[in-house]
Amino acid sequence: MPQLSPDRTRQILADSAFRELVSGRARLRWGLSILTLVMFFGFIALISTAKAALGASFAGSAMPLGFALALLMVTAIVAFTGFYVLRSNARFDALARSVNRELCR
Amino acid sequence: MIARSLLIALCFAFPSVAMAQGAPAAGARGPDWIAIGMFLVIVAVTLVITWRSAGSTRSKAGFYTAGHAITPLQNGLATAGDFLSAAAFLGISALVYANGFDGFIYALGFLTGWPIVLFLMSERMRNLGSYTFADAAAFRLQRTPVRLVAATGSLVVVLFYLIAQLIGAGKVIQLLFGINYIFAVLGVGVLMIFYVIVGGMQATTWVQITKAVLLLCGGTLLALAALWHFDFSLGRLLGAASSIHPKGAAILVPGGLFAEPVSAISLGLALVFGTAGLPHILMRFFTVRDAAAARKSVFYATACIAYFCWIIPVLGFAAAAILMADPSYFNVAASGQFNKIADLIGGPNMASIHLAHAMGGPLLLGFISAVAFATILAVVAGLTLAGASAVSHDIYGQVLAGGKASEARELLVSKISAVAIGVVAVLLAYAFENQNVAFMAGLALSVAASCNFPVLAMAMFWRGTTTRGAVAGGIAGLVASVVLVVLSKTVWVAVLGFPTALFPYDNPALISMPLAFLFVWLFSVTDRSERAAREREAFAAQFIQSEIGTALASERPALAAAAS
Repeated sequence: MPQLSPDRTRQILADSAFRELVSGRARLRWGLSILTLVMFFGFIALISTAKAALGASFAGSAMPLGFALALLMVTAIVAFTGFYVLRSNARFDALARSVNRELCR
Repeated sequence: MIARSLLIALCFAFPSVAMAQGAPAAGARGPDWIAIGMFLVIVAVTLVITWRSAGSTRSKAGFYTAGHAITPLQNGLATAGDFLSAAAFLGISALVYANGFDGFIYALGFLTGWPIVLFLMSERMRNLGSYTFADAAAFRLQRTPVRLVAATGSLVVVLFYLIAQLIGAGKVIQLLFGINYIFAVLGVGVLMIFYVIVGGMQATTWVQITKAVLLLCGGTLLALAALWHFDFSLGRLLGAASSIHPKGAAILVPGGLFAEPVSAISLGLALVFGTAGLPHILMRFFTVRDAAAARKSVFYATACIAYFCWIIPVLGFAAAAILMADPSYFNVAASGQFNKIADLIGGPNMASIHLAHAMGGPLLLGFISAVAFATILAVVAGLTLAGASAVSHDIYGQVLAGGKASEARELLVSKISAVAIGVVAVLLAYAFENQNVAFMAGLALSVAASCNFPVLAMAMFWRGTTTRGAVAGGIAGLVASVVLVVLSKTVWVAVLGFPTALFPYDNPALISMPLAFLFVWLFSVTDRSERAAREREAFAAQFIQSEIGTALASERPALAAAAS
């Protein structure tokens, strides 16, 4: 079986388009992951520290503040995943294809 | 041939069971013939799907992954179908019914797992593996030990989850149709084995898509009916619920479930990272063509699940506001007193089902009950398939036969495993009839978050991971999560009858998940063997494939060879 030679591996790793793809995607991936986790565990921390405030009614309506926040988080989570998919479709798929073309030459 | 005769036998056996036992059905309302009719229609539809998919199960790729040919939208719906179990539909609406806002936070925890699955798992998994998540975990590590750990983790998770679903299914069917618990569990067990061995992933996927569409439509219909009752004002709905609920306005504020920070964070960890370690969910990324399609299907799944998160609190609060005013939905004591939560006929888990009756009479009741049943069927079929492939692909195909088993033999082993897993699950569900369903599902998620997730994440993202580290971490997470649950209040006090719990928290994830990561790290950095050096070296090739895997199709065999 043919092996991907160490030289070839080094060559791909050093390729500028490959590096752009990897660093761009890593920023998006870890940035959004941390944002999501901070949001969820921050909300849980808020519950144990400021329970009363979350029960206060929101902007004069009958809906408590905590409820509105939770609904907002559901929306934010869909927005994050949508943003990730849009970015990936628009930028990273094209980059991956161009890396592939370059490497096959 | 066996398949056909089994199908015919089923068609005859099932209605007769339903009808013969139908007499004392559905609490005080007598047999629900409309419900039974709709339930039979759904079973018939899934059987037709299975029948039509039977041809696709002759090859390995067809059986495990529907030939990698499912479209992203279909796969997204099927993934949502896999994830929105009876625990989600009946269980979380029951939590909202009983505890108010806390139930909503639970749903939020389930949803939060999805972006994590998307950002960290789906694309890399698809680029590195082809049949089970152990493919990705064992990509550059030693095949035998890593696959054994991954397959054991999968099987434990699948079994606990299956038992939880089967107990739930048995209870729902028992209540709706008056069938004996054992017949109900047996019926679901036979159906799920049938879907998997006859229709493989193709049938399982289409059963899940059907169920997801039914569940979203049924949930929407029920929520709209309930909102209409309150002039489409969420404020009025919440006001009505809090004025009649025994806990009063406290149901609008986060309370008991998440009040204590350590327990809350532990539960949160299990909910969020457990999703990223569920074998039947991870398996769904292999049914699509490439990483881009896997990514899109997670987005569709997340959107469906988020939509469901909006509906669930409406159902729970509406059930509280409407049912609690009507004693006919409760087991009323001779004195005329009843507990507005515990005395609901069939228990709080039936809140949405009773709400359907209150909103739309027997017709809506029948529809929603049938949807609940379809929900359970789809989830158990997906779980059985994931368990069977862990046994046949990972343990038999890759470990025992060293990757040299013929396709036909591996398929035979997986069909036998599906039957064996089904039989074991039915027996355990019978033995644990009165076990708490939420606890079983929680245990499954904790094991997934503490064993599968750390091993997979470390193998995919950290160069330093070695076989020794992955195996030590996986075993530590698995053992710690199971032992800590046994020592916690739910088992040590409630089941085994000891006076005080040895482990003070209900959920072990806060301890067991970091422990697994620590072990992977510790046993990897101290591994000075030559093999470990080779495995660290091979990370570069794995990294390249995980980033641009399918784009490099021409070099794929070379990359795979470099890794082995």
